[in-house]
Amino acid sequence: MVFEGLINFFRNIFGGRKQISLGIYGCTNVGKTTLANKIALDWTGETVGKASHIPHETRYVQKKEKVEIKSDSKRLNINILDMPGISTKIDYRQFLKYKINKKAAKERAKEATKGVVEAIKWLDNVDTVLAVMDSTKDPLTQVNITLLGNLEARNIPVILVANKVDLKRSKPEQIKEAFPQYPVVHISALKGRNMDELYDAIIKHARKAK
Amino acid sequence: MKLKMDFVSSAKLNGKPEKKKIDYILNRVKDGSILVIDGVMKAEEEMNLIKETMRRVDDGFPGIEVCSLKKQLKGLNYVFDRLSDSKDRFFSWMTKKEMAELKTGMTLVGPAKIIKKIKKNPDSFSVVTEM
Repeated sequence: MVFEGLINFFRNIFGGRKQISLGIYGCTNVGKTTLANKIALDWTGETVGKASHIPHETRYVQKKEKVEIKSDSKRLNINILDMPGISTKIDYRQFLKYKINKKAAKERAKEATKGVVEAIKWLDNVDTVLAVMDSTKDPLTQVNITLLGNLEARNIPVILVANKVDLKRSKPEQIKEAFPQYPVVHISALKGRNMDELYDAIIKHARKAK
Repeated sequence: MKLKMDFVSSAKLNGKPEKKKIDYILNRVKDGSILVIDGVMKAEEEMNLIKETMRRVDDGFPGIEVCSLKKQLKGLNYVFDRLSDSKDRFFSWMTKKEMAELKTGMTLVGPAKIIKKIKKNPDSFSVVTEM
């Protein structure tokens, strides 16, 4: 125990910055919380938040701090930041079809707008970003383009996560075609597919954190 | 029902502080206009446009649809473009005001109530509206 503490002490002094804030960003319903939960479950045995098929389930930034991930002999301490989905429009009427009453739908929409604002503000505080995309859908959305443009302008390392590859209509290759300049990892957060490759990528790219 | 489209020259927005650009766009879009702008805002400005839109969402205004086509720059042009961003950031820092020039390209912004879908390709886009 003492020995391990000493190792960590010297690692922190001589090993550079090993703890990073990992922001999980993307449009709504791409599987951000499912991914945050999978990462947290793999390394801590606990989840981060509730995932749902109803848009804007995550309306506040959800955190899981001091998560140590490993890949081969390398390790990295991360703070997982599960962000509300970024959107250019939020209509309370969209929630009514999920059997949410009008008053609750309006409240959900109001919270969701605040969540988007909060997620955008957090761009100033993340070291590395997982930009999650639904591989069954067209990745060339303005939200994705604007998000990646912001990360580039801020020199924040980004890994594109092509999620939901377990679905038959998944076309993860179109994400690489749309954004060829970024590393892309194909995963299914729900089924836990290809997570090791994602951890490799996080450790490899997060080391460039500012 | 009528569909109103406003075509806006880059000169109308160039040199304006970011807040004024965003106010100009959102005030018109909230009134029901679809704006076609001769230029593209910086990614940070576009993100702040989304942020400000969220602050203005209400029962009658669910938000915007936006799509921009930016000229793809390579080689030295890309380097000059990044230098221009640095210049804008420097002057913004000096003057304490965000005043970036629009980039070469085209932007369409409209009310989400009217624009139902924008299908984007690398160098074109199509818009579906519902009145």
